[in-house]
Amino acid sequence: MLTKVHPERLFIGSIMLAFALLIMATVGIKPQLLQSLQFLILFVSLLLVIWIGIKAGKFDIITNRLRNRAVGWLIAATFSTALWSFAHKSTQLVFPALKEFRKIWNTFEPFALFATVVFILFALILFIVGSRDSKLERPGFIERSLVHNLSSKIAALPMVLTAVGVFVIATLWTVYHSFTNSRMLPKSEFIGLAQYERLWNSDRWYMSIENLAIYGACSLIFSLVIGFMLAALLDQKTRFENTFRTIFLYPFALSFIVTGLVWQWILNPDYGVQKIVRSLGFDSFVFNPLYNMDIVIYGILAAGLWQGTGFIMCLMLAGLRGIDQEIWKAARIDGIPMWKTYIQIVIPMMRPVFITTLVIIAAGIIKVYDLVVAQTSGGPGISSEVPAKYVYDYMFGAQNLAQGFAASTMMLVSVLIVLIPFTYLEFGRRKNA
Amino acid sequence: MNSIEIKNLSLNFGDVKVLKDLNLTIEKGEFLVLLGASGCGKSTLLNCIAGLLDVTDGQIFINEQNVTWLEPAQRGIGMVFQSYALYPQMTVEGNLSFSLKNAKLAKDEINRRVKNASEILQIEDLLKRKPAALSGGQRQRVAIGRALVRDVDVFLFDEPLSNLDAKLRTELRVEIKRLHQKLNNTMIYVTHDQIEAMTLANRIAIMRDGLVLQLDDPKNIYNFPINKYVAEFIGSPGMNFLQGKINNKDNVSFQIDDTLFELDGYNFQTIVEDKRPVWLGVRPENIVVNDGNKSMPVNFDVVVEVIEPMGADTLVWSHFNGHEFRFTVDGNKVINIGEKINLGFDPLHISIFDFESEDRL
Amino acid sequence: MPNSSDVKITDGPRGPKPRKMLSRRNIILYGTLIFVAIYYLVPLYVMIVTSLKGMPEIRLGNIFSPPIEVTFEPWVKAWAQACTGLNCDGLSRGFWNSVKITIPSVFVSIVIASINGYALANWRFKGANLFFTILIFGAFIPYQIMIYPLVILLRDLGLYTKLPGLILIHTIFGMPILTLLFRNYFTTIPEELFKAARVDGAGFWGIYFRVMMPMSLPIFAVAIVLQVTGIWNDFLFGVIYTKPENYPMTVQLNNIVNSVQGVKEYNVNMAATLLTGLVPLAIYFISGKLFVRGIAAGAVKG
Repeated sequence: MLTKVHPERLFIGSIMLAFALLIMATVGIKPQLLQSLQFLILFVSLLLVIWIGIKAGKFDIITNRLRNRAVGWLIAATFSTALWSFAHKSTQLVFPALKEFRKIWNTFEPFALFATVVFILFALILFIVGSRDSKLERPGFIERSLVHNLSSKIAALPMVLTAVGVFVIATLWTVYHSFTNSRMLPKSEFIGLAQYERLWNSDRWYMSIENLAIYGACSLIFSLVIGFMLAALLDQKTRFENTFRTIFLYPFALSFIVTGLVWQWILNPDYGVQKIVRSLGFDSFVFNPLYNMDIVIYGILAAGLWQGTGFIMCLMLAGLRGIDQEIWKAARIDGIPMWKTYIQIVIPMMRPVFITTLVIIAAGIIKVYDLVVAQTSGGPGISSEVPAKYVYDYMFGAQNLAQGFAASTMMLVSVLIVLIPFTYLEFGRRKNA
Repeated sequence: MNSIEIKNLSLNFGDVKVLKDLNLTIEKGEFLVLLGASGCGKSTLLNCIAGLLDVTDGQIFINEQNVTWLEPAQRGIGMVFQSYALYPQMTVEGNLSFSLKNAKLAKDEINRRVKNASEILQIEDLLKRKPAALSGGQRQRVAIGRALVRDVDVFLFDEPLSNLDAKLRTELRVEIKRLHQKLNNTMIYVTHDQIEAMTLANRIAIMRDGLVLQLDDPKNIYNFPINKYVAEFIGSPGMNFLQGKINNKDNVSFQIDDTLFELDGYNFQTIVEDKRPVWLGVRPENIVVNDGNKSMPVNFDVVVEVIEPMGADTLVWSHFNGHEFRFTVDGNKVINIGEKINLGFDPLHISIFDFESEDRL
Repeated sequence: MPNSSDVKITDGPRGPKPRKMLSRRNIILYGTLIFVAIYYLVPLYVMIVTSLKGMPEIRLGNIFSPPIEVTFEPWVKAWAQACTGLNCDGLSRGFWNSVKITIPSVFVSIVIASINGYALANWRFKGANLFFTILIFGAFIPYQIMIYPLVILLRDLGLYTKLPGLILIHTIFGMPILTLLFRNYFTTIPEELFKAARVDGAGFWGIYFRVMMPMSLPIFAVAIVLQVTGIWNDFLFGVIYTKPENYPMTVQLNNIVNSVQGVKEYNVNMAATLLTGLVPLAIYFISGKLFVRGIAAGAVKG
């Protein structure tokens, strides 16, 4: 009866479950119970292996054509055992050089132990039931899921670790801890939404959101419009196209820090634009965006546009170049004026490019941090604060971790609001095409 | 009355001369095909006629009017493109009516023309669909319809069937021919496919390196190619070429190694002196297999090497004194590899080209 | 004795349509382009001009006027003497730190991402797409939400505030865009080639090293350009995951310019700013089309 539910899947499933428990135990959901539980589960899977073996009636190790691979798993198990032993005092006494990386070994210790157990289990299962002649319902399931494309799986391991280990677990960790009262150090004491209440009662957070909204809306509109217009101008078989493109794009190669500092200097009221206009005779001319609380964000916007519009232009130009030249010819034969061709035919055709560009700009806007730090450090007062800076300051400056976590969770939520409809649209488009 | 006249047309892209002092006259109602290998300038010429490219020198007249400096839309032409170039976000109806709406025509007039065009092309059922939901053949019909609604005298086709599969291509070819017979307006058609050219054209202009080599009706181009290039380009399987020289001793004849082919009946354009090196070209389909009696003026023996049955007829690859020689026979005829066969041809149906200049003699 | 066609040739339009150089269209087109180009060039000009002036001249003149007396002293000072906090050994330390961070980060991240991309493009396995989707999603998630757990991870590994830790961070956060870049490139390589190599008996690594990598040198160049500029310009990770003596150039530059102590020396600041921008600018001007291709390929295809 148990064959019906695929004991092999059960086996793989239990190993994954054990792994999940291991991660939870290491990540900080502390209870010792979890750490012991994983080995309990692994023990169950060992029993499963033996049971599968009995059921399949295949204990014949010598004739099993998969034994080479099983040996490979044993070798892997040896390596992880070695790694595990590095964390132990006695080994470190024998090889003093190991002591230097003590922390690394300590971090890897539970994983290495886990890997050893799992690798041995895999080797066993290949010895015992890895043959296609298994009497089980889905012969070779384990073989396929473990050994097939193994190099590829090993090669993709860094990607899997980054995707799951960093992007998923780290994100969940932060979201979880935003509901705690962590201050200097992360704690797991749950205090509900108190951090969010504090966040939304904070003037500084409101200012950050407002600034981000203004900066975001303006830079979205201006960089799209200007970027597209520049691209359209360069697409007229323009002479010196390469020169112009080089000029428009070079700021994109510069860091936000450099950008912010240059514009800080240009907008300096004592030496920059204001002084020059005044020296021309307009004595009462006032132009000091970086020292005026009401317009400081536009000073930052000017720098941001200077840095990024060239990039948008490049994306647009690539989009324009991707349009079938015969469409232009057809429009000319049909006697449609150029501006009308752009608006009624070309721009609708470039919809995917616009959507992608929009998402790229939006993702960039939310991350704005360096520019503000370099240009104004959030001042005057708090008038040019942005959320990313709020997060950083609370995490590393004010030693109020949970507040920083709550703010960064809000940032995540706002990104998801943009990103989810986009993926939906994107996938919808791909399915139709 | 001439529909299109091209005078001393030249076009250079930088230093590259794409069209070289071209002259061409097309009569009203004529179907002219521009045929040539890629890069010969045929599409460039079409784009010049359409006004999509600025010419370097020369003039273009359409309906006796000098249009050299006119915008494409003012020239009274419609054009169909290889990639169809339909406006993707508009429906078929929108595609057909867009130029008319833009020219501010009355609504009923637009509707009448769209209806008329869609009836002719049998696309009435597709009017509400978008191009993405159409098959390749349907898209090309819509593209033709877009030229049709503009009610113009001249149609330009730029390799319109190249993006279609073989079966659809044959179907649409007939359709275009039918359309021409019905509308009877001038059509210029660019292609690299000789079958399309032969089947559609009233006249074919064979182009090479920016020049028109031969402008004639399909039959003449097939039977009397003006030079070796044209002879090679037209006809499939290709013409056989034997290299030899003229022997004027008794009668005019062609000498290859020690064999003499008498050329009685061949119309020389000029007087040909003795020992002039020449090419003799004869089409595989003009060869007759002699079964005992020698019915043709010229006869010779070949050894069969490879046989390619093609259904209706069979293409035979053979050797004639060490020279490769192809000929076609009826598909039912039994021929064996290694067999020695006696062949014959009529000098009336061959071509003689000068060895150096490769021009017809 | 002119016949009718000769007459026609002489009258009427002939040859190219005459176009005025100064047509209204051209004036608008080039006028706009030149105007915008000036807006783009002004900051660079101001940086250079300011960095070549002495302080008295800056106080008197305006930022746009060319230097009357060209001096390279600000450059020397920015490089070797500018102060951050108590350290007064100039930007040179930040420069060398940045070099020490950038070179290994670029190398490691590209090696890993190219192998990932190759596995994804040619050796699909079950679940690969799920991980890839998460990875790409990760590229859009604000870094802020992942910063602190990584601090803990690095601290546990004993790499926090050390250069190897920052290299690991750059490898992690460079992975989405680079993997995408390589995956997209490898999928454009004809599959027949891959199949032929397999039939010839090459395995996963054999195909990668002997078939794919030699064919993909341009995309490696693109990735290098992308990563060098990206990592050199990074500020956030530098400031979080290193300590002052390991600060990369951008962080040090910001500390020099925005330090509140002492008299502001604008010429030194601008020289320092230029020095920091010099590496990415040089890469941009040398790589030219590769840079454009890199950012376009990384972005549009996503």
